[in-house]
Amino acid sequence: MSIIDVTELQKYFSVRQHFSGRFGAVRSFFSRESKQVRAVDGISFGVQPGELVGYLGPNGAGKSTTIKMLTGLLVPSGGKVVVNGHIPHKERQQYVAHIGAVFGQRTTLWWDLPVIESLELLRHVYKIPLELFQHNLAEFTDMLEMESFLHTPVRSLSLGQRMRADIAAALLHNPDLLFLDEPTIGLDVVAKERIRQFIQHVNAERGTTVLLTTHDLADVQRLCQRVMIIDHGKLLFDGRLESLQDQFGGKRELVVDFAQEYETVAVDGATVVEYQDARATYQFERGEISASALIGRLSSKYRVQDLAVREPDIEATIRRIYQEKLLEG
Amino acid sequence: MKHELDLYRRLLGVQIRSQMQYRTSFLFDAMASGLIVLTEFGSVALVLQRFENIRGWELAEIAFLYGLVELSFGFMDMLFSGFDPPNFGRGVRQGTFDQLLLRPINITAQVLGSDLQLRRLGRITFGIGIFILALTLNDIVWTVPKLLYLPIVIASLVAFFGGLFIAGSTITFWTVDSIEVMNMLTYGGSFTISYPMTIYPDWLRRFFTYVVPAIFLNFFPTLYFLGKPDPFNFPVIAPFLSPLVGFSTLWLALRFWRFGIRHYQSTGS
Repeated sequence: MSIIDVTELQKYFSVRQHFSGRFGAVRSFFSRESKQVRAVDGISFGVQPGELVGYLGPNGAGKSTTIKMLTGLLVPSGGKVVVNGHIPHKERQQYVAHIGAVFGQRTTLWWDLPVIESLELLRHVYKIPLELFQHNLAEFTDMLEMESFLHTPVRSLSLGQRMRADIAAALLHNPDLLFLDEPTIGLDVVAKERIRQFIQHVNAERGTTVLLTTHDLADVQRLCQRVMIIDHGKLLFDGRLESLQDQFGGKRELVVDFAQEYETVAVDGATVVEYQDARATYQFERGEISASALIGRLSSKYRVQDLAVREPDIEATIRRIYQEKLLEG
Repeated sequence: MKHELDLYRRLLGVQIRSQMQYRTSFLFDAMASGLIVLTEFGSVALVLQRFENIRGWELAEIAFLYGLVELSFGFMDMLFSGFDPPNFGRGVRQGTFDQLLLRPINITAQVLGSDLQLRRLGRITFGIGIFILALTLNDIVWTVPKLLYLPIVIASLVAFFGGLFIAGSTITFWTVDSIEVMNMLTYGGSFTISYPMTIYPDWLRRFFTYVVPAIFLNFFPTLYFLGKPDPFNFPVIAPFLSPLVGFSTLWLALRFWRFGIRHYQSTGS
């Protein structure tokens, strides 16, 4: 049974036509003309309980619109969404009691209240039994190192502290499902890592299903077994991160330091892109030859002193997918 | 429902605690808004001193009208702070309204609990002051029905203006440009009915009788409380229509509010 079940989901917006030039404002005001924007254009996917899925796409790709439909904030124009047995927008109040959501740019906490009082208030909002609340609070405080700022008003927290408090707040009621929209945006490396560790812990130990949107590919590499890529409202890729690399990753590189200078350093299955001062850089295609086979061939022909394999990074891969529209079908 | 009321109470508690952190600012704001009421009514009083009455209304009687509207509007302005249209519209654009939709509680209770402007207490206090002054200056023949009806009239005024606030906030789902039109009705309306309807030209009085029937909210009830004859010869039931007008306005506004939320969820503003 999928916990998220999305079929042919669509969201169209009508954008009122704006006119420029003389009397443009007046024309805009009276005009009934509008343009249809397909923010989400027929996407389907399922998420199993316990999965941790990364949802990627450039700005304006339709990520937020999808999340808003999944959390019941927006009504779809077409298609079907069933999450946790609910149609989110139809049974909003019952539905949101069993999910958690963090929108990185905003806080759900009360600005002038100390963190602990905000969390106390959420205990009443979600009707969390006192015992469970205390247990969760202790665990989150410990894991997210919140002790030092539990009694600080939210307005005085740093961004990293606020984000930790917000994530804790979203999980106090043991939701089955957690939506995280850009949870590491604007944070420093240490803060990012702490949050990643916590997300991983929650997913692994509590079995909470997590759907995560992010711009930071390190988040994805560190956390997600599965990624979905959306652009122009269409789902371009849905699968394991490694298979994304296999399919669309650029060429791998092998850098070799030879023990002596050779006239030529050619080898079958790879092309030399650079050779200077006894150091050569080869490029080879994944699938054509493995790194170990290539190394074998090289060392049987030449005296190799040192070598290193360079993987094309995921960031470059995804940038290529967006730019070259590799996935458009 | 019990859960909702409990949370509403807690949310208001948050607002009170938050604002008490800025005590000096609260005191100054409260004093300032109270002084505005005082100078406004004071200048009317000064002008009126030169005349015995205007269109059959003495100063003490006008104070009754004025105080009644002022204290009710102040209460409304405090209780419905979350629905103050410009603030609400800002929340919609900044996404704070979405945060409320993500919580498993009735959305109206949450918006009501999202703000409680305590500085309105200044306006309320001075409104009550003027009203008490009016009670002592007028020779009112108090009867049990009158005593029972007074709080109902106040509640009806609160409901009426609260309804205008809710309707104004709902409009911000579509546009923020027309907020001024709504303000004209809310603030203009409360200002207009603070004075006797006899001083206005016919067309304006008709507007506030048949289009926006605010005349029934406080003018006719005031005639009843003060025992003044009705200059417009309306049916004897006219003073008792206040709750009907007030609460049906609130009811309609809530219907519109529900519709607005559905629209918002289908367009994302």
